[in-house]
Amino acid sequence: MSNILNYLTTFWQMFRKDIQVEWRGRQGVPVMLVFTLLIVFLFNFALQLSPELQSGLAAGLLWVSLAFASTLGLNRSIGLERENSGLDGLLLAPVDRSAIFFAKSLSNFCFTMLVALILLPIFSIFYQQNMIRLPLIGVTLLGLSSYTSLGTLLAALSIQARTRDVLLPVLLYPLALPILIASVEASRAVLDSQPMDHFSSWIYLLLSCTLLFNAAGLLFFETILEE
Amino acid sequence: MAKQTLTFSARIEIRGLTKRFHYHAILDHLSLTINEGDFCVLIGANGAGKTTLLRILAGLIHPTEGEIIFGSGQITNGPNLRRHIGYVGHQSMFYQDLTAAENLMHYARLYRLSDVDKAITNGLNTSGLDQYRNQPVRTFSRGMQQRLSLARAMLHEPEIMLFDEPYTGLDQEAVQFLDKKLKALNQPNRTILMAAHRPHRLLPMASHIAWLKAGKIVEHLPISQLHKSPALKRYLGAPA
Repeated sequence: MSNILNYLTTFWQMFRKDIQVEWRGRQGVPVMLVFTLLIVFLFNFALQLSPELQSGLAAGLLWVSLAFASTLGLNRSIGLERENSGLDGLLLAPVDRSAIFFAKSLSNFCFTMLVALILLPIFSIFYQQNMIRLPLIGVTLLGLSSYTSLGTLLAALSIQARTRDVLLPVLLYPLALPILIASVEASRAVLDSQPMDHFSSWIYLLLSCTLLFNAAGLLFFETILEE
Repeated sequence: MAKQTLTFSARIEIRGLTKRFHYHAILDHLSLTINEGDFCVLIGANGAGKTTLLRILAGLIHPTEGEIIFGSGQITNGPNLRRHIGYVGHQSMFYQDLTAAENLMHYARLYRLSDVDKAITNGLNTSGLDQYRNQPVRTFSRGMQQRLSLARAMLHEPEIMLFDEPYTGLDQEAVQFLDKKLKALNQPNRTILMAAHRPHRLLPMASHIAWLKAGKIVEHLPISQLHKSPALKRYLGAPA
């Protein structure tokens, strides 16, 4: 029982620290937000699509924007631990290191989800679709949770590399392809007002990815950090 | 703090330790025993492997081969062992946007200290930084960050202290502060291992000296027997 309590204390402390650092520095979420807005503007004005095409592309563009924004956030999150060897400080502490993974994964998810929640109404305006729908928020939540779990794991893997800023997207995008495809398909189905059983397989795929990558974090995060 | 119920002896026994990076052996079957209460200065040229040895002892990296026995070897579990070790490295390990007190609080909570506030106040007082407790660490000088690093490493009152060139880049005032702190830390139940490129100012405080050369300990002797090793004296720059 005390072990679980210790684990939760570590998890909470790490999560709280990430939120505190972001609040104090405000270098993660604002950058992600500005970047996604730029993508929205650029695609909207560069493609000059008809309203019908625009609404068809909305789901894809939403996930491209979120994937890019999340990668920026992941780089920032892991760079923060690298700065002044903060990671060493964490590794020295007598804690279960997988709790660090879950806390960082959750903070990355929260930051990206915050960007997504700001982005959805803006997408509604630009792409002439009502995107503020509970099922779409649900799909976003699930897709981002899976994406940030995988991203946190790969960011830890690339932290020791000199080319980590380049390495992370190179590793992340191919492996995240199932997540992105499932998220786009599920989002498109929601926007087309299809019934849930038409896209439930994509939801199951997202759930499986979330479980898989969190289990991988639980099992391998410590080894990844030490090596 | 919920410390291990087993009595921990701050003895370090290193047997046949090897660390290779890309097939290049930084440490090569290194063996060394440091007894409880020893203050051992680890000397060696740049690239001799001092930092690698300290990082392995701190649990930050794994050795390729060999074993390290802490105390009587009863505590082998990672987190339980890390409770007994304090490490001051080249970098401060602080989050620059957080204040001194917030940084110490973060570590105090990770170490699950029973009285976090008291530990932080004590740490800031003894490092002479209490008046700067609410200032972001990024505004601190190198000397102030090093003092805060020492406070961080001492928060959980470890029995084994590892220092990696702590004097590097410090001004005279910070050097004197560190001298004073090291004298206070040097206690019979605490083992100190300090890597130093220029160890002269440490010799009056230290009990032992170990010379790391080409990945091996080539000399390890009490300071009082320094005269028995002309090669070591030459290395230190004193007349043989």
